[in-house]
Amino acid sequence: MLEISSITVRFGGVVALNDVSARFDKPVNGIIGPNGAGKTTLMNVLSGFVQPSGGSVSRDGQDLLRLAPHRRAHWGLRRSFQKEEIADDLTVFENVLVQIDNSRTPMAEKRAEVERMLDLVGMAGRAGKIGADLSGFERRLTDVAKCMVGKPRVVMFDEPAGGMSVDESRELGALIRRIHAATGAQTLVIDHDVELIREVCEDTLVLDFGRRIAFGPTADVLADPKVKAAYLGTEEV
Amino acid sequence: MDRSLFRITRSGWAGLALAAFAIVILPSISSRFWLSVFTSAGCFTIAIAGVAFMYARLGMVSLTQVGLMGVGGWVALRLNYAFDFPFEVNMALAALTTMVFGWILALPALRMRGLYLALVTLMAAGGLEIIFATFQFPNGGDGFWGVQTGSGEAFRRPWIAQSPEAYLRYVIACAVLGFLLIELHRRLQPGRAWALIRRSEAAAMAAGVNVTLYKTWAFGIAGLLGGGAGALLAGSLGLLDDGTFRASESVLVFALAVVGGARYWQGAVVAALLYKVLPPLLNNWGVDADLAYIIFGAGLLHAVITAPDGIAGQIMGAVKGLSRRKERADA
Ligand SMILES: Nc1ncnc2c1ncn2[C@@H]1O[C@H](COP(=O)(O)OP(=O)(O)OP(=O)(O)O)[C@@H](O)[C@H]1O
Ligand SMILES: [Mg+2]
Repeated sequence: MLEISSITVRFGGVVALNDVSARFDKPVNGIIGPNGAGKTTLMNVLSGFVQPSGGSVSRDGQDLLRLAPHRRAHWGLRRSFQKEEIADDLTVFENVLVQIDNSRTPMAEKRAEVERMLDLVGMAGRAGKIGADLSGFERRLTDVAKCMVGKPRVVMFDEPAGGMSVDESRELGALIRRIHAATGAQTLVIDHDVELIREVCEDTLVLDFGRRIAFGPTADVLADPKVKAAYLGTEEV
Repeated sequence: MDRSLFRITRSGWAGLALAAFAIVILPSISSRFWLSVFTSAGCFTIAIAGVAFMYARLGMVSLTQVGLMGVGGWVALRLNYAFDFPFEVNMALAALTTMVFGWILALPALRMRGLYLALVTLMAAGGLEIIFATFQFPNGGDGFWGVQTGSGEAFRRPWIAQSPEAYLRYVIACAVLGFLLIELHRRLQPGRAWALIRRSEAAAMAAGVNVTLYKTWAFGIAGLLGGGAGALLAGSLGLLDDGTFRASESVLVFALAVVGGARYWQGAVVAALLYKVLPPLLNNWGVDADLAYIIFGAGLLHAVITAPDGIAGQIMGAVKGLSRRKERADA
C-alpha cells in the first residue's frame, strides 16, 4: 500500500498541493484533475524532484521522502514522463537496460529480463533499433518496458496516452493493466483521457487547485457531482 | 560479456587504418620539424578527445582542457626530475593526478549548467595560467617547484621511443588507446548513463542513474586524457613553457573541437590538425600564420550555423550518402 499523507507543496505564492492525502491499495490507480491541478507535482514529490513543505509518503514501511531520487529508483520506483524520455543514441535494448544497470544481478540475467519485458510490450523485434528512429508509440512502449524491469514496486505514468490514436491508447491501457500481474508493482496513472482511466484504474484520486476533491472507486468518483463541476468548462467527462 | 562490446564499426576500422598509416608511413616521410609538429598534434588530439567527449556525451562545455594538459605536464616533469621512474610511470601518475584534478574541478562545476559551467571552467583555466606563469615548469632545479635558470638535463623519453620518429609512433599509439578508452566507456554502463543524463537529468535520476557520480566521472576522464596528453607533450619537447597553457588556448581548443565535430573521433583529429598543423603549413606557404585564426573563426561560424556535428559530421554524412547511393545502384 502506497500511503501519501498531508503533502503540501508551495511554489512561491502558488499552493500546488494543499494537504493532499490518499491511500493507494489497488493494483492500478488513477490521478485526474484539470490543468494545473497539481498532478505532475504530486508525481514529482514521489520522484524526489520537488520537496514538499510538509507531509509524508511511505510504502512497505519505507519512508520514500528520505531517499535521493536515484535511490528511489533502486528501491523500485519507476517513472514515465509526460514526454517519453528515451535516449536518441541508445538502442531500445540499452534504453531499458539503463534502469537496472546499478543492480548486482549477473549481466546474463539482466539481459534476459530486458528481453522478457521487451517481448511483453511487443518491442522484442525492434530491440536493436536506435532511439532516434522510433515512432512516438514505440518510444512509449520502450518506456513501459523500462518501467517494468528490476522488480518495480510503484510505477507512475504521467499522461502516457497524450498524442496517441484511439487504438494505441487502448493498447497502452491493456499493457498498463498487465504490469501488476507481470511484476507485482502498483501503478499510478495520470491522464486527461477519462475513458482510459475508467478502463484501467480501480481507484482514482481527483485533484483540483491542489486539493483532493474526491478519492475512491473510479466509477463512483467519475459520477461525483463535485468532480463534474471541476471539469465543467475545462474538460469533458 | 557483451559481444557488441568488441565489435569494430566502420568508423572504428577507418580509425585503425589511419593510425596504422600514420604509424608506418608518417614518420618516414616527415622532416625533423614536421615530426615535432605531428607529435604535438598527436598530443593535442588526445586532449581534444577529452573535451569533445564531455561536450558530445553530456553537453558540458569545459574550457580548462589545455590547463589540465599543463597540470599533467607539470606532474610528469616534476616526477621525472625527482625520481628515476620510467616515462610510462610518470605519464600514468600525471594522468591520474590530473584525473583527480578533474574531479576537484567537477565539485563547483556540477552545481552549474550551460554558460555558468563554462565560466567556472574558464576561471579554473585562468587560475592555472597564473600558477604556471608564476612558478614555471620543473626543469631540473631544486625544491618543490624544481625550476632553475638555464636548461637542465633533458626529460627522459620512453625507452622504446627515443628517436623523434619512434616518439611520434608512440604518441599515435597512445591516442588510439585514448579513443578506445572513450569508446569502451560509451558502450558500457557509463555510456548509457551519460546518454540519459544528456537527454534529461530528471529522466536519468528516475532511471536510477547517480547523476553527480557520472558527471564527475566524465570530468575525470577528460582530466585523465588531458593529463596524459600533457605528459606526452613534455616528452616531445623536453621542457614546457607556460605560454602553451594559457586559458585562451583552452577556449580555442574547445571551439576547434566543435568545428571538428565533437561526436566523432575524426573531429578530434581534424581539430588537432587545424590547431597544430595548419599554422606551420601557412607559414611554409609564405602566408601569415595568423590567417589560421580567421580560418578558425570561419570554421566556427560554419559549425554553429550549418554543421552542428562539425566537419567530421559532414564527412560521415557524405560517406553515408555515397554508400547509400552505391547500395541503390547495386540493387
Ligand atoms: N517548478 C515549478 N515552479 C513554479 N510553479 C510550478 C512548478 N511546477 C508546477 N508549478 C505550478 O503548480 C501548479 C500545478 O502544476 P502541475 O504541473 O502539477 O499541474 P498538472 O495537474 O500536472 O497540470 P497538467 O494537466 O497541465 O499537466 C500549476 O499552477 C503550475 O503552474
Ligand atoms: Mg502535468
